[in-house]
Amino acid sequence: MKFEDIYEPIEVITHFQEGRLRPLRFKWNGRVYKIRQWNGFWINRQGSNRQYHFSVQADNSDFVELMFDDADLQWQIARVCLDG
Amino acid sequence: MAENSRTRMIMHIDADAFFASVEQGFNRQLRGRPVIVGGEAGQRGVVHTASYEARACGIRTGMPLIRAKKLCPRAVFIKGDFAHYRAVGESLREIYLRYTPRVEFTSLDDAYLDIGDSVHLFGSPVYMAREIRREAEEKTGVSLSFGIGGSKMIARIASGLDKPRGINHITPEHEKAFLRELAVEHLPGVGRRVKEKLVDLHIFTVGQMAVLPRLVAEQMLGKNGLTLWKMANGVDEREVERKVVPRQISRETSFPRDTGDEKAILGGLQYLTERIARRLREQGLSARTVGLKLGYADFSRAARAKSLERASSDGAEIFGMVRYLYGQMRLKRVHIRHIGVSVTQIRDKSVQGTLFEGPRRTEALNSAVDELRERFGFMAVMPAETLQLKSRYRNDAHGYILHNPALTR
Repeated sequence: MKFEDIYEPIEVITHFQEGRLRPLRFKWNGRVYKIRQWNGFWINRQGSNRQYHFSVQADNSDFVELMFDDADLQWQIARVCLDG
Repeated sequence: MAENSRTRMIMHIDADAFFASVEQGFNRQLRGRPVIVGGEAGQRGVVHTASYEARACGIRTGMPLIRAKKLCPRAVFIKGDFAHYRAVGESLREIYLRYTPRVEFTSLDDAYLDIGDSVHLFGSPVYMAREIRREAEEKTGVSLSFGIGGSKMIARIASGLDKPRGINHITPEHEKAFLRELAVEHLPGVGRRVKEKLVDLHIFTVGQMAVLPRLVAEQMLGKNGLTLWKMANGVDEREVERKVVPRQISRETSFPRDTGDEKAILGGLQYLTERIARRLREQGLSARTVGLKLGYADFSRAARAKSLERASSDGAEIFGMVRYLYGQMRLKRVHIRHIGVSVTQIRDKSVQGTLFEGPRRTEALNSAVDELRERFGFMAVMPAETLQLKSRYRNDAHGYILHNPALTR
């Protein structure tokens, strides 16, 4: 098992409700992944901005860390965990 | 006074293999597997935290990563992310503060709680500990160990005896018996050297230390001897302090490749100094003694420290001393692999004003810089020399992501 830092902008379908956001699907390298499981999330404060990190499991069982930066309202795929 | 000491109840909470536990908590695939935080398997550097599964293979903190890989080839190696650990530490902090306002946070992953006045709300200290543990596991996946006793020392020792996920409550009537049989190295402040001296005196247990004449302890071990003797006799009057002035603040990093480039070395040192100065100002502190540590490519090390004329929290002033020390030390013609800056003799910043214009201007400048960084991130304002590091490290608004990201703060 190996972790790789990616930090690439991606498209994410997100559910916003009562001040909370939840990623539902994301598109990376031309493929759409459905999020099967949320493992947890944390916030990294950077000055007055916040980065919301989500540890999720995609439908292909890969562990992925997604990051939403409220400075530019942009999603990034931060890290992936590769099996093997 | 005697009444107070009888009702004092301190809980010490220590996260189990914190960094590894956070990684396992947020990634189910890692649960039950040996996890090593500190760097990638082939990378040079040392193990920062090993999960209990990795410890079972003989992995220890401080072990070179290459050796760890040999000992435990199936381990998962993770560079780590300090921002993540800090965020989880914040969540733990919020949980603890719901149980009592009197919390002393000694680091990200351990804290003392004075629960004397709030324990009745939860029935018993053990029930309270179980609730905190459940909440922490649910929210962060991190497992905690608890020690409960009449003093910080008893609580601290107790929390370390039954890891992971242990809860040890030492009631006042059992404290003496608890201490008597304990190996002497469990006392805080007994390191390798002190232990050797005590072994020479045939002192192996805390009970044996307790019956030693006080004067002998003092003569053998100096001021520390008296403190240890008191602790061995169960005397520890330290209160749970909400604000703790640290003894030392240090920042260190290794270069990805050994270097002799003065600009890169000084840029790195200035960056580390800026991080220390910011931490000092954040906490309303200033420091008088500045230390510099260099690790050479041939694995030799050198360190030197010198005091400033007056305590300071100004990055430029502290770096002036770092640069001076570097000039004094940099005599060896060997590349450098590791650098570190530290400050000691830390105190609360003096509230007394100054008559001179210079320091007042510096303070005003620093507070403007801090405000900008608060708003736009640490990298919003940087000394020009530290920009040298841009070609070596990736950075975000929060700072450079150094060679050992688990420790990048």
